[in-house]
Amino acid sequence: MATPTHTLRPLTCWKSILRHTRHQKVVTRSLTTYHQNVPYSKFQLPPPALKKIKVYPAPPFPAANTKEPLKALCADQIALLDPTGVRTSLFSKTNPEAAKVGDILLVRLKGGDPFAGVCINIRRRGVDTGILLRNQLTRVGVEMWYKIYSPNVEGIEVVQRSAKRARRARLTYMRKPKHDVGSVQNLVLAYQRSRSGLRGSAQKEEGLKGGKKKSVRGKKH
Amino acid sequence: MIQLKTMLNCIDNSGAAIVECVNVMKMKRHAKIGDRIIVVVQKQRNFGPESGPGASVSTSAANKVRRGDLRHAVVVRTAKKLQRPDGSVVKFDDNACVLINKAGEPIGTRLNGVVGTELRKMKWSKILSLAPMHL
Repeated sequence: MATPTHTLRPLTCWKSILRHTRHQKVVTRSLTTYHQNVPYSKFQLPPPALKKIKVYPAPPFPAANTKEPLKALCADQIALLDPTGVRTSLFSKTNPEAAKVGDILLVRLKGGDPFAGVCINIRRRGVDTGILLRNQLTRVGVEMWYKIYSPNVEGIEVVQRSAKRARRARLTYMRKPKHDVGSVQNLVLAYQRSRSGLRGSAQKEEGLKGGKKKSVRGKKH
Repeated sequence: MIQLKTMLNCIDNSGAAIVECVNVMKMKRHAKIGDRIIVVVQKQRNFGPESGPGASVSTSAANKVRRGDLRHAVVVRTAKKLQRPDGSVVKFDDNACVLINKAGEPIGTRLNGVVGTELRKMKWSKILSLAPMHL
């Protein structure tokens, strides 16, 4: 049986020869008593060449300095958008001269007609503070929200203060026909006239331009 | 928020006074200022001095549209608050529209009432020029 196999595959003979050797090796290895474990800590390796890595100290953690980061951010933004603090004081709760709900306000816009109306809501939310103005244009009630710190808002002026302090925070009842003050264009026109009279001729031209437009509107009511 | 069955004021002199929205064109949402809608004329405007004996003749002559007509229109005012890119919000007390033909030209020749400035963005400059003022 072995002969034909050997003729076909001549290297197979090595397997049968080496099988014995292999077996012998296993037997001798199991009999040995020389082997003992060397702990890794005792195991000596040549010391590796240490590369010096530069370690930088951690930057200071910002939360340690800032107790309320959102409040700080809001204050930063207000300082950026309203450097003089005029708007802040105009709508601050502590200022007795501040604009209140019920007052007639005029919002001058950059690149656009000014909008005037009764302030029926002041939404105080830091830098997002907005005011809701209501007016009637061509006998249609119009309400506009403006952000007081918006870069588009050039200025906010108090045209007329309300005679009595409003006993509500939001005068949404003014939307009802019974309480609606109607158009405030006449008051705004008078205010602009008086202001342009007080100021110099440089401002007069602007006031008259606005006034002429307003008078056209005023005739309709 | 102009959608199916919304009643709108028609603020031009085409002869329609109140129209009802039956479809919002080119979108699956409600219409806002500047959007094109399809309306049915529900109420005709009767012009003051002409309403009397023989009013039907003069009214029909003045009115370019009749009750029950199906027309296209552009929304010019909405009672729903609309926020502008600059953060300001505009809200009107009523919903109003202007009738147009299929080519997009207004049917009426005059508008009475303020319209939203969004019309400029939506390329309705003809309507803006007819309007007495825009906001």
